[in-house]
Amino acid sequence: MSVKKGNSIEIHPLADIDQIIHAPARLMILTYLFVVENADFIFLMRMTKLTWGNLSTHLSKLESAGYVTIEKTFKGKKPLTIISLTETGRNALRNYKSNLMQVLDELPD
Amino acid sequence: MLNTLSLKEAERKVFRTTFLDGLWDIFIGCFFLQFAFAPLLSSRLGDFWSSAVFLPIWAFLFILIWVIKKSVVMPRLGSVKFGAARRAQLSKFTFLMLGINIIALIIGFFFAMRSNVSLGLIYSATMGFMVLLLSSIAAHYLECVRFFMYGCLFFLSLMVGEWLFIQYKIPHHGFPVTFGISALIIILTGIILFFRMLRNYPLPEIDGNLQDKSHVR
Repeated sequence: MSVKKGNSIEIHPLADIDQIIHAPARLMILTYLFVVENADFIFLMRMTKLTWGNLSTHLSKLESAGYVTIEKTFKGKKPLTIISLTETGRNALRNYKSNLMQVLDELPD
Repeated sequence: MLNTLSLKEAERKVFRTTFLDGLWDIFIGCFFLQFAFAPLLSSRLGDFWSSAVFLPIWAFLFILIWVIKKSVVMPRLGSVKFGAARRAQLSKFTFLMLGINIIALIIGFFFAMRSNVSLGLIYSATMGFMVLLLSSIAAHYLECVRFFMYGCLFFLSLMVGEWLFIQYKIPHHGFPVTFGISALIIILTGIILFFRMLRNYPLPEIDGNLQDKSHVR
């Protein structure tokens, strides 16, 4: 909640903003996962335009936070990594969006 | 960053990748080719067999597209399972297309029963309108404007063909010419899209960038 004190603005919701989601790359990943049931690693790489290594690192962070699940299987002889958003991740993104919107809405023009 | 939060736009971007490879364009172009070749075969095979002879070719093309999708496109673009809302929309689209196709079949049957040369233009206009309707619905639901353009090309091919027949007595209602040109345009579009996809999305280097984590926060 933002409180106006004279000309200064104290913005409390900023402190509530989820730092795991706040990184642009992770926000992008979660946004794409939010709108689909699941996607494979290559698809996410193409959509986010991240490199293999970057995407891998960001996904590991999101997995540790419990926001995504990563399922590694094989399709024939080729490895297949399927990523999907967990319910925790879905709620976290919703909260992130509302917190951020709240902060931005209350900023003076 | 706020643009990234547009979930609707993100979902549309994801869905649009379906038609990025141009394979369905090539398939539609081949469908047009049938209308160019069938009239040429009708004198030898009759009206039914001149169209029915293409069925195995359709099956072969469908399998070929499926194989190319699996072996060439998916390793480059990856795969995705769409959300429930999109899948429901696609089901609605399928039923709508099925309904209109059944209506088109009934109308086609009606015309076949009343075979009359003077009905040629009306028949072509009706069929052209039905295909235009189908392509408009496909363009709307599949978010691919090209499909509407293909519907327009179909309508134009029929109408210009009939006009060529009436004005210059071009055989087979001018369809081999008009549909041949339309098919060429559509197949070329598909081939260009396919090669553009191959160029823009090469096979990913799995190990090449594993150390590139410098700007990960």
